[in-house]
Amino acid sequence: MIQKEAEKIFETRELNVNMGPQHPATHGVLRLVLDIDGETIVKVTPYVGYLHRGIEKLGESLSYFQALPLTDRMDYVSAMSNNIGYCVAVEKLFGIEVPERAKFIRTIVGEMSRISNHLLWLATHALDIGAMTVFLYCFREREWILDLFEMICGARLTVTYPRVGGVRNDVPQEFLESLWKFTDEFPSRILEYETLIDQNRIWLQRTVGIGVISAEEAVSWGMTGPTLRGSGVPYDIRKHMPYDAYDKVDFEVPIGTAGDTYDRYRCRMLEMRQSNNIIRQCIGKLPPGPVMAEDPKFTLPPKDKMMMITHPTKEVAYFIEEKACKGCGMCMRACPAKAISGEKKKPHKIDQAFCLQCATCFAACKFKSMKIIPGGKGLSEEKLAELAAGPMPEEIAKAAEHLVRQFEFIKKGPKAPEGELYVATEVPKGELGFYFVSDGSGKPFRMRLRAPSFIHAGCLPRLCVGHLVADVIAAIGTIDIVLGECDR
Amino acid sequence: MTVREIVKRFTFIEIFQGMSLTLRRLFSHAVTIQYPKERRHIAPGFRGQHALAKNQAGQAKCVGCGLCATICPSQCIHISRAKGQVDKYEIDILRCIYCGFCVEACPYGAIVLTENYEYSDYKKENIYMKKDRLLSNWDKYMPGKKGEEYFKKFWRPMSDDFGTPTGQAVWRGKKQ
Repeated sequence: MIQKEAEKIFETRELNVNMGPQHPATHGVLRLVLDIDGETIVKVTPYVGYLHRGIEKLGESLSYFQALPLTDRMDYVSAMSNNIGYCVAVEKLFGIEVPERAKFIRTIVGEMSRISNHLLWLATHALDIGAMTVFLYCFREREWILDLFEMICGARLTVTYPRVGGVRNDVPQEFLESLWKFTDEFPSRILEYETLIDQNRIWLQRTVGIGVISAEEAVSWGMTGPTLRGSGVPYDIRKHMPYDAYDKVDFEVPIGTAGDTYDRYRCRMLEMRQSNNIIRQCIGKLPPGPVMAEDPKFTLPPKDKMMMITHPTKEVAYFIEEKACKGCGMCMRACPAKAISGEKKKPHKIDQAFCLQCATCFAACKFKSMKIIPGGKGLSEEKLAELAAGPMPEEIAKAAEHLVRQFEFIKKGPKAPEGELYVATEVPKGELGFYFVSDGSGKPFRMRLRAPSFIHAGCLPRLCVGHLVADVIAAIGTIDIVLGECDR
Repeated sequence: MTVREIVKRFTFIEIFQGMSLTLRRLFSHAVTIQYPKERRHIAPGFRGQHALAKNQAGQAKCVGCGLCATICPSQCIHISRAKGQVDKYEIDILRCIYCGFCVEACPYGAIVLTENYEYSDYKKENIYMKKDRLLSNWDKYMPGKKGEEYFKKFWRPMSDDFGTPTGQAVWRGKKQ
């Protein structure tokens, strides 16, 4: 009787709490609605989409070459891996074979980005749980990697370094020296982090037995990457479907046993050591050779080959040969300065006073009626006609070929073969998949991304329910999400 | 619970190990820099503020073909032409994503990204780059031979990228 009375008086209700979107521990703008009973989580509902920029849709309106910088902005913590994922997918679509050296360089930078991602993950995860020192130490090493990125491509975060068909530019010698020094020192730095937290009793209490998920369940939730490997599933795309130079290096895939937050932490720590190992092997094996695939259809033509026309001292003039001109009007429509005039089916004419010497008309002409006259700028019409009468010098004709390729590549974009494909790569967060549907034009008909962060954010309710409120922070940290990738 | 675990639990050994590490760090040099007073080294080829290149005669190299505006993924370059010259060349800096595609697309080597990254302002108009400002950036940040060096190194792809140039970086073993 008394007990019933007491229950009536001290009646408890579930409390509905909003966590985020502006919460420092949600690693971005993730909003979680928590139903809590006292301190215990009853239900978690994640709301995503605050950082949605429509990258998939934007990809449909950009050519395969242009869409590359979009992938930087997905997982901005490991932009290099995203770039590589995109390039590998597009290369498979086009059937381009990448040179050996480019493959090794990509593997090096990919693993560097894995280390820098895991360092940032460890830093923020530890900070969320309460270990401040690890945060500062991790950033010290991360800075080194970002400086190395700056050395090779001029940017620290949004790198846009790999290109479809290779990489943007070759690596300098200082880069290799500095990176080797980094790999020499880095294992001792990992030991430092482990001294700070690995056996720390607070760390153990906050991570052991928190967010446990079994191997079967983790697979059926669609987890990938270290989040899955913590549960003991040795699934790694680098091992099972090797891309780049991963089939030429030795490495192990570390796995956990219990599938809790601590095991996932151990997995990532071991993975950093493996990455370090891979980089060392790749530096040792780095072969000399080209860094871009020689594929006229897909890669930009070399700039020095066009110098005969484009060099500022070669003051060229463009002239339409009256005999060859069919009067189709392509040049007239293409000319940005509106310097070309003429009636249909009659020879067109360039007004030299308006001409910018930009070569757009030359690239547009299908009937080869255009002539390039080096040193012809400022000459009179009669003189130009006289000079244009003979065939173009051979070196000018060769340079013009490359110039036309440059214009066509940029204006229209390389044409992809028809079909669809899905290509997955192992980014630090998990499996990043690109799915392209191509209708044979220069732009993808549909570009779909399988972002690991999105799928892992969906697992949050499974990991949190039954634990305390403070453990939600640990759960968000352990699945390693970046909302830029999650919302796309 | 083994004896080892009991000893560990009551001696706080792991805490003291961590503490001694932080104590040792206390006496080593700082890795941070005091920003406005000290500046970090910027690697050559840094993708910062834009500049329009000039030739030896001091004229703009840009001919106004518009390839940079075509390739720009964020469509931040606006060009218009008047009689025989480029009338307007404007870059909306607030839209730019610094991918460097404009440099790659230009066949004339007319646009570069300089090493300047400090150009915040209170007014939007001041960050909207007009042609004069872009040309003066060239004199300011790419003086002398620097511009030439930039084009040699970072105006890609060159024929070297499709072949095997001499002096390519390879690992030559640890320096003694």
